[in-house]
Amino acid sequence: MRASVPRRVGLYAVLIVAALVMIVPFYWTLSTSFKLPGDVFSGKLIPDPFTLENYQDVFRRLPFATYFLNSVIVSGSIVGLNVVFGTAAAYAFAKLRFPGRDLLFFVFLLTLMVPFQVNLIPLYRIMVELHKAIPAIGVDTYFGLIAPGAVQVFGIFLMRQFLRSIPDEILESARMDGASEWRILRSIVFPLAAPGMATLAIFTFIGAWNDFLWPLIVTNSDEMRTLPVGLALLARRNTVVWGQTMAGTVVAVAPMVVIFLVLQRRFIEGLTAGSVKGGG
Amino acid sequence: MEGTLARRIRAGLPGYLLVAPAVAVTVVFFVVPMVVSGYWSLTQYNGIKPPTFVGLDNYIALLTDPRFLRIVQNTVFFVVMGMAIGPLLGLGSAVLLNESVRLRALFRTAFFLPTMVSLVAVATVWKMLYQDQGLINDLLGVFGLPGHAWLNDPTTALPAVVVTSIWQGFGFETVVFLAALQAIPRETYDAAKVDGAGAWAQFRHVTLPGLRATILFIYIIGIIGSFQAFDQIFVMTQGRPGISTRTVVYELVDEFQRLDLGSASAIAYLLLIVLAVLSFLQLRFFGERD
Amino acid sequence: MILRMRPVAVLIATAIVLAGCSGSVSPAPSGAASAVPSAAASAVPSVEGSAVPAESTVPTASLDTTPVTLTVWDYYGKEVTPFTPDAIAAFQNEYPWITVDRQDLDWESYLQKFNVAVSSGQGPDVATLDMTWIPTLASNDVLLDLKALSGGMLNGAPITDQYSKGPIEAMTYGDGYVTMMNDFDAYALYYRADLFEQKGIPVPKTWDELRAAAKKLAEDSNGDGKPDKYLYAVRPNTFHFSQFLFQNGGQLLNPEGTKATFNSDAGVGALDYQVGLIQDGSGLYWSDADGDLPPALVDGRVAMFSDGPYYMGLLKSGVPDQSGKWKIAIAPYSKQPGSYLGGTGLSIPAGSAHQQAAWLFIQYFLRPEQQIRVYTVTGAAPATTAALESPELTQPDPYFGGEAPFTVFLDTMATATHFPYVAAWSQVDTIISENLDAALLGKTDSRAALDEAAVAADAELAK
Repeated sequence: MRASVPRRVGLYAVLIVAALVMIVPFYWTLSTSFKLPGDVFSGKLIPDPFTLENYQDVFRRLPFATYFLNSVIVSGSIVGLNVVFGTAAAYAFAKLRFPGRDLLFFVFLLTLMVPFQVNLIPLYRIMVELHKAIPAIGVDTYFGLIAPGAVQVFGIFLMRQFLRSIPDEILESARMDGASEWRILRSIVFPLAAPGMATLAIFTFIGAWNDFLWPLIVTNSDEMRTLPVGLALLARRNTVVWGQTMAGTVVAVAPMVVIFLVLQRRFIEGLTAGSVKGGG
Repeated sequence: MEGTLARRIRAGLPGYLLVAPAVAVTVVFFVVPMVVSGYWSLTQYNGIKPPTFVGLDNYIALLTDPRFLRIVQNTVFFVVMGMAIGPLLGLGSAVLLNESVRLRALFRTAFFLPTMVSLVAVATVWKMLYQDQGLINDLLGVFGLPGHAWLNDPTTALPAVVVTSIWQGFGFETVVFLAALQAIPRETYDAAKVDGAGAWAQFRHVTLPGLRATILFIYIIGIIGSFQAFDQIFVMTQGRPGISTRTVVYELVDEFQRLDLGSASAIAYLLLIVLAVLSFLQLRFFGERD
Repeated sequence: MILRMRPVAVLIATAIVLAGCSGSVSPAPSGAASAVPSAAASAVPSVEGSAVPAESTVPTASLDTTPVTLTVWDYYGKEVTPFTPDAIAAFQNEYPWITVDRQDLDWESYLQKFNVAVSSGQGPDVATLDMTWIPTLASNDVLLDLKALSGGMLNGAPITDQYSKGPIEAMTYGDGYVTMMNDFDAYALYYRADLFEQKGIPVPKTWDELRAAAKKLAEDSNGDGKPDKYLYAVRPNTFHFSQFLFQNGGQLLNPEGTKATFNSDAGVGALDYQVGLIQDGSGLYWSDADGDLPPALVDGRVAMFSDGPYYMGLLKSGVPDQSGKWKIAIAPYSKQPGSYLGGTGLSIPAGSAHQQAAWLFIQYFLRPEQQIRVYTVTGAAPATTAALESPELTQPDPYFGGEAPFTVFLDTMATATHFPYVAAWSQVDTIISENLDAALLGKTDSRAALDEAAVAADAELAK
């Protein structure tokens, strides 16, 4: 049942215009990153003269390898911890019964509604005190960077949604066979929830990789800083060198874009599997 | 509920163990700071000297301050505009993408791309586009239209920032709606057509009801997010001109910077109350009977 | 029920403990502040009256040489900080028992982190502080009195001989000095001398002359009837407004710091003047969110502006093609020369356990040869007079038409005034800045804008 030709042409036209609107700012970022300072606002579509000096500046001025490595370690840890422990918690909320379950869920919900900025100072204070007590943790350590994001409430909600659609019968029969909940989790739930966990992994990775405010606050030294923080420190107080800022943006964004393009099919599948249509 | 509490707790042990890590992290790194801020909101505190208890003074001062009320008004504008337009664009583009279109994956990627990028990066790029010599004025010039100082005019500054936010955010709604649309069974549409329903009637009676839970999810998350708008303001306008683009969370952060920790915490709690009430109302009236 | 109550009780208990922690350290810092100076004064030998050359090191015989690690917090930015690894190595060479741990922090979050660290007893030993933060920190007894610690001497000579009046006042709180100014910020007029010469415009010395000069300078390049080139940048923030206010004989607050006086006739006149420049078409409204000026200087939209010494570095790196075309002059005034005075100070938190070593560090970097590096490495203006009068800083600068800009800035600093030292100053600053927009963008008249700001400011000051 194909739509008429004019209708299809109209459809494509709208989609193309919309897609352009979405992409043009990215193209502009890329193009500006190759421009000399004087050309940034010249309106030229293609940088001419084309220069690599913005990128050279970014790589030269930053201990880039350190920042990149830290970003990888921190984001990777956060993703791993969230996927395992977030799913475990979501399973408990979705399929297990225990006193206080709904109250606990409600408290979790509340934490989403408080803007993160208000937690910053108390959280920083907690980290300072922890560091005072145990130098290996707290301010300016991987622990400080990873711990607050180790299990995120938004992820638990997402997984809870997916897991509700797992038929109870499968779980019941496994229990009757004598399997422990942990065993059930590993052998039945994780495989069934894989698309959901992939989705969780991608969302969590994006959030952790791009996270800027908390890593900025909790790190004092270059050895511990992550990429967004390092790039932000490129721009000193009130100084905007557009070419370099755009080069920094490209460098920070590129991994995200590549990962998304490579994984986007699994990601969309993940959102589709799991009944988004299910109960609230 | 059968069984004594002790027995139920014992039976629920696996549940407790599985949520334990999540609870530990949430309590230590979220609930404790929240409680601390709650206490600070009842005090006058500059972060250096010990806090002085002042009861509800901070709250009353905020709610009777015309400047703060104007800031709330800006934030409400942000939320209303964002939630009126964003989901509509998201649903519209999802409907378009749901048609069998070649290169659907490519279009989907294009729509979702902005959401992948940090809001700070997006705001930085759009700030450049809005400059007097930026791309937007250039494009307007191509069509013979006059340029404008988008971010420096109190009338256009806030709408300009809202546009940036919508641009960045609606891709998320597109993907979620698309997934939900594809979950509506073909048979329901076929049955409606057999009954003689046209395209619009199908939309109203098959699509929308099928999307109900998704719409609720989008609105709850979206309203919570829009009320907390900060990054774009910080990068693009810093609350100026005047206070025309100052949002509630921007004011909160500013008060922290000015070492008025008591009032900043009070703002956070006012926000929490508003969001809790709104979420509750949405769940109550639009949620499914579970 | 008992089991359910427990987690909640623990929660509340933890919160109270943590909240208590935030306040309980106060006895230590303020106690330390009074207890230490006498100890430190005896440790640092008094050099008054002894014939010690100004730059010599303090005799090490009477110093405590147990190894210490000095934590230094620095917001200058790794690339431009004067505290370079070389300089620090040289310092460590001279004082071998001191190891310096320099931490590079960002300016935006600095104050918050500093406060938390200091109130948890984990603060640094030396900190760079923005002069606008000094009043709040000083009034909360966070900063050590350096006059008591040093006996009033810096590198063998009285502190009062090494700074001019403006900085001395800015560093003073109560009876002592809470910081040593490392670099300063005060505004002078930057102008495109080549265009002035081309159009036969004399260098303005009064407000009227400046307004006339701006009119002659401005051009309409796209023929739409509105000048859009070679304008004067009008900045809507308290730093710039206060410059005009002071020049018009006005003050920001009354001497007691309890009432706003910026809405006096002098203040209204100052704001009217800025509005006038915009209305003439020769002033360009340039908000803080627009960032720095170089992009507008490159394409010629702006050809005149007021700003501080650090802009010299910005021009050289951002607008290299215009070398030789710019000059700097004392800002034109109506009644008296005036500018705000800001900058960076080096302070020692009162809770530091290494005050003597910290003071050695500060003294080292305030020596003339180090202060000169504040300009050559950082691009900022050193605050000590010796550095400002040194040959390196008074030699002709080719970028600025072969003139020596620091002579202008030295004069400017002499008549610059720091912002009022009141606890609510940051709130008042924000209030003023926000209300300037209404007048500068033509939405309301200057008096109404300033009166509204004054009402809000008075409310804050009364708290």
